[in-house]
Formats: sequence, structure tokens, C-alpha cells
Amino acid sequence: MDWLEEQLKEALARKEPSADFDARVRRKTVATMPRPVQRWIAAAAAVVVLVGGGAMYRRHQEEQAKEEVMLAMRLVGSKLNRVQAQVQAMGEGR
Amino acid sequence: MKRLAVLCGLACVLYAQQFKFNLEHLAGKAGEKVELDLNQSVLQFAAAAFSGKDADAAKVKKVLSGLEGIYLRHFEFKRDGEYSKADLDQIRNQLKAPEWQRIVGVTSSSDRENVEVWLRTENGKVSGAAVIAADPRSLMVANIVGAIDLATLMELGGQFGLPKLEPRKR
Repeated sequence: MDWLEEQLKEALARKEPSADFDARVRRKTVATMPRPVQRWIAAAAAVVVLVGGGAMYRRHQEEQAKEEVMLAMRLVGSKLNRVQAQVQAMGEGR
Repeated sequence: MKRLAVLCGLACVLYAQQFKFNLEHLAGKAGEKVELDLNQSVLQFAAAAFSGKDADAAKVKKVLSGLEGIYLRHFEFKRDGEYSKADLDQIRNQLKAPEWQRIVGVTSSSDRENVEVWLRTENGKVSGAAVIAADPRSLMVANIVGAIDLATLMELGGQFGLPKLEPRKR
């Protein structure tokens, strides 16, 4: 049992990769993908982010403008309601 | 450069407005205030937000399409007498005939509120409106600039805070 534990510990022990491991992995990954494809993917990602962000910002601006117009309509409308009520009361009093 | 940009912005607002408010000094005294400067591009944004198949949304869109701007100041004060008669007079003095005509003015003795509605006409067409509402503790001045579609506005009565107008009985 001790022998098995020793073997397992040795097999599962944390080992630090060699110093150039990161560079080697990167080299291999990039080398497998043709360069124009990488560029297209980067450009497409940029377009998606720009268009999506722009559309969201525009929608936000539209909603904000709508809220402001509604506020103006409510404020002006409340005063016009007072005028209407007053005029109607005068008409009924005649 | 920054100052120039501010001046240009102010000039644009004043150009678009049909009369000057000159009420900046009241902003500091007000407990609550609403200051809206909605120019044509902001109104276009708002019109785009009123989308869908809703008939009323389409009417609002139609009304907004004719407007060039909505400028509004609303102040609420904690005490009476924070604004003077001169503040109102300097606005009224700018609303001159023949362009401007006061179409209605009501005074309520119970809450001492005074509301005036002015219309601006050019070549027989409504090109602007002004609403001045004042009571001892609040003041509201609004300038709606542009072609105002009164028929569509009437159809929107009862919604969006607008009064519902009943057709006149003959």
C-alpha cells in the first residue's frame, strides 16, 4: 500500500513547466492558423463590438430622449389640464 | 477653447428658442427644478423610441417630426416670493404681436395660480407655443418651437398628460 501511495504521489506531483513552455505553445497555436484568417477574425470581432456598442448607445440615447419628452409633455399637460378645468368651470357657471 | 464651445452651445440654444428665459438666477433658489433643452436631434431620437404598431406612438412621432425644439424651465420653491413679477414680465415682453398671441389666460383665486398659453403664427401656420404657469411657490415656462400639429395633438388628448378635448356640440 505504501508503495502504491508513493507511486501515485510521484505521478501526481506538481511539476513546473520548462521556461519556454508558454512560447512554444503560442508558436504552435499561431502557426496552425493561417494569418489572413486571424486578421479577418480580429476585424470581425472589432466590427461586432463597434456595431453592437453603437446600437446599444443609440438605443440608450433614444430612451433617454423619450423620457425627457414625456416629462415635458406631463409638465405642460398638467398646466393645460388646469386651464381646461378652469375654462370648463366658467362655461358651466354661465 | 472650452469657453468657446460653451458659448457656441448657448448661442445654438438661444437661436433655437423663440424667446429667452433669463431665469438662471432662480435655479439656485429652487428646491426642485427641471431644465429641459431638447433640440431637433434629441426630438428625432425620441421619435425613434416611439416605435411599434401602436397608433398613439405613431401620432406622437408625427407631432415630434414637426418640432424643432422643446425648452422648459420648472422651479418649485420652499417659500413664497422667490421669483418676482419682473421675471415674468421680461418673458411676456418678448411675446409680441403680430407673431405671438395669447390664446388663453386663467387665474385661479383658490391657489393663486396663473396660466397663460401663447401661440406663435407665421403665414397663418402655428410655428411655436409658449406656456407660462406661475403660483406663489412654483414657476414653469415652456417654449415649444416648430410646426405644431394641433389636430394630432387633440387626438392624443387624455394620454401622456395632455388634456382630453371633447368635440364641440352644435
